[in-house]
Amino acid sequence: MRKIQSMISTSSADFRRFDRHNRAMLADFRARQEAARHQRPERDLDRLASQGKMRPRERIEKLLDPGTPFLELSSLAANMAYGGDSPSASSIVGIGIVSGREVVIRADDPTVKGGAWYPLTAKKIVRALDIAMENRLPVLHLCDSAGGFLQLQSEVFPDKYMAGRIFRNQSILSKMGVKQLALVFGHCTAGGAYIPGLSDYSVIVRGTGAVFLGGPPLVRAATGEEVSVEDLGGADMHTSVSGTCDYPAATEEEAIHIGREIVAQWDRAKKWDCQRDAPEDPAYDPQEIYGIVPDDIKKSFDMREIIARMVDGSRFHEYQPNYGTTLICGYANIWGYKVGILANNGVLFNDSSLKGGHFIELCNQNNTPLVFLQNITGYMIGKEYERRGITKDGAKMIMAQSCSRVPKFTVMCNGSFGAGNYGMCGRAFDGRFLFTWPNHQIGVMGGDQAANTLAEVKINQMKRNGGGVDEAVVRQLWEETRAAYQEQLSAYHSTSELWDDGIIDPVDTRNALAIAISASLNAPLADPGYGVFRF
Amino acid sequence: MTAPLFGKILIANRGEIACRVIRTLDAMGIASVAIHHSVEARARHVRMASEAVAIDGETPVGAHLDIDAIVAAALASGADAIHPGYGFLSENARFAAAVEKAGIVFIGPDAATISLMGDKISARAFAEAQGVPVAPSVMPTGDLDDFIARAESIGFPLLIKAAAGGGGKGMSIVRSAEGLREAARIAAGEAQRYFGDGRVYAETYVERPRHIEVQVLGDGDGGAIHLFERECSVQRRFQKIIEEAPAARLDPALRDAICASAVRLAAAARYKNAGTVEYILGADGRFFFLEMNTRLQVEHPVTEMVTGIDLVRAQIEIAAGRGLPAKQGKIAVCGHAIECRICAEDPDRDFLPETGMLAHLGVPEAPWLRFENALDPGQKITADFDPMLAKLVAHGTTRAEAIDRSIAALEGLALLGVTTNIDYLARVLDNAAFRAGDLHTGFVAEQREALAPPPIPPQLRAQVLAAAALGLRDFRELALGTPEPHAAIGGWRN
Amino acid sequence: MSLKLTLDGKVHEVSIVRRRPHLVLRIDGQDHELTELPAEGRGHASMAMGGHAVSFARATVADRQLLRLAGRTFEVGTVDPFSKAGAGGASQDVVRAPMPGAVISVHRRAGEAVARGEVLVTIESMKLQTGLAAPRDGILAAIHRFEGETFEKDEVIATLEPQVDEG
Repeated sequence: MRKIQSMISTSSADFRRFDRHNRAMLADFRARQEAARHQRPERDLDRLASQGKMRPRERIEKLLDPGTPFLELSSLAANMAYGGDSPSASSIVGIGIVSGREVVIRADDPTVKGGAWYPLTAKKIVRALDIAMENRLPVLHLCDSAGGFLQLQSEVFPDKYMAGRIFRNQSILSKMGVKQLALVFGHCTAGGAYIPGLSDYSVIVRGTGAVFLGGPPLVRAATGEEVSVEDLGGADMHTSVSGTCDYPAATEEEAIHIGREIVAQWDRAKKWDCQRDAPEDPAYDPQEIYGIVPDDIKKSFDMREIIARMVDGSRFHEYQPNYGTTLICGYANIWGYKVGILANNGVLFNDSSLKGGHFIELCNQNNTPLVFLQNITGYMIGKEYERRGITKDGAKMIMAQSCSRVPKFTVMCNGSFGAGNYGMCGRAFDGRFLFTWPNHQIGVMGGDQAANTLAEVKINQMKRNGGGVDEAVVRQLWEETRAAYQEQLSAYHSTSELWDDGIIDPVDTRNALAIAISASLNAPLADPGYGVFRF
Repeated sequence: MTAPLFGKILIANRGEIACRVIRTLDAMGIASVAIHHSVEARARHVRMASEAVAIDGETPVGAHLDIDAIVAAALASGADAIHPGYGFLSENARFAAAVEKAGIVFIGPDAATISLMGDKISARAFAEAQGVPVAPSVMPTGDLDDFIARAESIGFPLLIKAAAGGGGKGMSIVRSAEGLREAARIAAGEAQRYFGDGRVYAETYVERPRHIEVQVLGDGDGGAIHLFERECSVQRRFQKIIEEAPAARLDPALRDAICASAVRLAAAARYKNAGTVEYILGADGRFFFLEMNTRLQVEHPVTEMVTGIDLVRAQIEIAAGRGLPAKQGKIAVCGHAIECRICAEDPDRDFLPETGMLAHLGVPEAPWLRFENALDPGQKITADFDPMLAKLVAHGTTRAEAIDRSIAALEGLALLGVTTNIDYLARVLDNAAFRAGDLHTGFVAEQREALAPPPIPPQLRAQVLAAAALGLRDFRELALGTPEPHAAIGGWRN
Repeated sequence: MSLKLTLDGKVHEVSIVRRRPHLVLRIDGQDHELTELPAEGRGHASMAMGGHAVSFARATVADRQLLRLAGRTFEVGTVDPFSKAGAGGASQDVVRAPMPGAVISVHRRAGEAVARGEVLVTIESMKLQTGLAAPRDGILAAIHRFEGETFEKDEVIATLEPQVDEG
């Protein structure tokens, strides 16, 4: 493999301008993340402290093996929903190491609305359990939730991918042999009671932990029975009478310690044998990515420069370097793992689509995970390209990608517009993980194009109606359409809706991908279907 | 060279000394017979010996004191000699007599010599008769004036004590004639009060006494030689813990005088085999006979190291009638040797004996080092026997080198599972007064504070804690069981 | 997540800071890099820490580790991370019969201090004698069934004085 020769001048005016722009964007991201993680009303924190409870992130830190990474997923979920009342969708999800084992940690957040589940909370938990299933990762539930957010029950409760899916996924995980442990720090009421109920192991903290289908008020209302929390569903009752929970703990610390001991009993994952070489830092400083990604989504840049700052030793074996040049394909290593990278360097033409499909097949043949670095405005349109079969060629790429048996990972490095999103393993294509950079925009088309298209329609309509074209009306329509589009296009909207697994700092991409790849190797590789078609 | 050597020798002992004797027997081609109580059926000395005989006894020590059983064992096994080692029956005249009576050679002096030297009064009288200095004393009479007059004549300082007493009652040190009468009066009064006997006794008080002893060998026909002296001044609970040869800072003329007196005593007693004449040496150069040990000493290896003479071999050859190993003129001291007694005891708790289990034994090796022991990993350290576990003996060309080597060897010695005095011994050797040779039998008490364990420096503490942490299975797993790439990525957060 | 060890009468904390390129331990707040790790198990071992080669011997006796390092012997204990009350808590105030049976003998009286694991009452059930032990350290409040008396499963046989919360 050759080391990529960077063409970037870090002293150029563009570099410095882009660097300022992207660092400002990153600072904004970090500020939003900090607020979502830590900004809470004093009274909620006081209440937690008075109960002798730790904050959920403290619990996670104590649960993790010291000196090991934690890849938090979707830290800004729900950041543009519910008026900001559900930071991180009231739930913390991530992948970390507990007792030497890779696990998904999923924690309720009792510091907001008593940890109540919003619709996006359910979506986030379902996604966390999907990740566990797809990657055979054990799940540690840190339970402390008041239950569903009743005002929005129609969006939490009834549909296929709503709260019920959590318990369905828990059951399926258990059947698959993927273990779950519930640490009950607070109340698990109604449906929430099934989290420990459906976990293979559970620990409950005396005094603060409780599990019941209906709490004391509901019991009183329904049957007139007066009963205390402890007698109804406390630690001693469940661990010595009902057997619903397995281990009582005197304190949260002790619950965490018992939990770590339980995880230490689990068999170690046997991963499939992905090619792995000795890891190496990139030869070029990853921080330089900030000066490479332009300050305007319409400006192009060479994705090789990004690859050079993401892969081991900046070394890259480029496949078909002179063919279909708007799609860069090639092999590289990330923290040692051999990966096949597909990165957009312009619009997808017929040849770049065929090249992409072919390379995806090569990676499937070679048991090499795929990494898609998206910066795509779509497949080329126009008479010439339709005649050459651009739709047919794009379909080949989408087919090859969809039917891949190797794990796929997508990074939204910049734009993701139109059908290019599909070919490059957008959210719908079951990539194992999808990460987004703060500058990312996504939509069926760009804001300008959408505004232009709608303005065009409006003008034609005005003309058909016989009237003159009212420029002011058209202008207003254009502005409104563009503004609405811009908001929906933004990475924050994407991540709020859980269209991704979280916004990440571009510099963190390497670590995030390595942890994601490592996780993906727990699920066995399916048998190959066909050989390699040279399209 | 006509006397026959022995075909088989029974060692009436156990532990390190039994092993040490067997080593020489092996080198001489003589078969060995070990004896043991049932608790030590698989002990090292039993495994090393050509054959072994179990001796019944209510206690393990009792078995080793059973004269009849041991003589019977020797007869049954066909041994033609018995080596008694030290301790147990080694200075028991009845045993020596019983052995001889059974037609077996006792490797040591005859029963009469053992009896003579075993009694302090007769030994002292015999020594005094041979011109060996004994500490001047004034025996009590009924007349206080007469007592004072005679006491003044032997000089000061004097130790005044109750004739019938003990335990320090009525005891005082008098440094001048002025205080003598008053001290004697008070002592007499106290003696009367405590013991109902007002008689007082005085003897020369030796300040900061040193314990010097001379190794002698006698052929039993009046021929005797010395193998120079040893110093055994470092003692605790009235027992030696560090011995060396030669004595530090000993004037050559004084050394000659001491050694000559020991040879004189041995020759006069027609002493046969190895023995040790012990002296008290004062700071003023006066030395007084203490006692004679009619056996091999625990600390004999230091003499062997500086003279190059195997004392056990010499004992056997003398017993076999082959005479002394060398003429006096051929014996010289080469370098310096130090012995440290490794004991299962806690120096921080007044040297009280400790018990435990020998979980790990790591012994340093060097050509200048002897580690005399009978230890086996996994062995229980009980209160059945003496707390001495082993002896570490190091040689150097100078005293300083012997000290440094001893310290290095002690530091390299790992004996884990029972509290020992190893660290304490190293601190004694490294003590400034010890290095200066400023020794006396009160050394351990005098240097008490200087010999206390020093605080643990932070870096050492961290090393100990790191080693301990990584010795715990769970922590080790936590430190080393992390999968990649997570271990390499470290504590990263996104 | 840190390990608590006792040495020289004090409690010390050891935790892991990082593992690559070398293990770094934080010991009482100070970081130490181990460029060479000691082998597992007892006996002689060596390691390199903070640039210093350290050789030592180690043995384990019951719950203590004995280490010989730099010519000194050290005894290191491990602090049990579990709370002294154990995992039982309020349910640890009572001793219940694990099965129906009769009391054979009562060993302790109300008001006496008892240690965790100490047998308070011996019962017989299904031809099997069983010692009912104190679930934690504490003061025995009462014995509810005496010699010859019978009881049902889960009946309270003894109670301890409730524990005062140390917090």
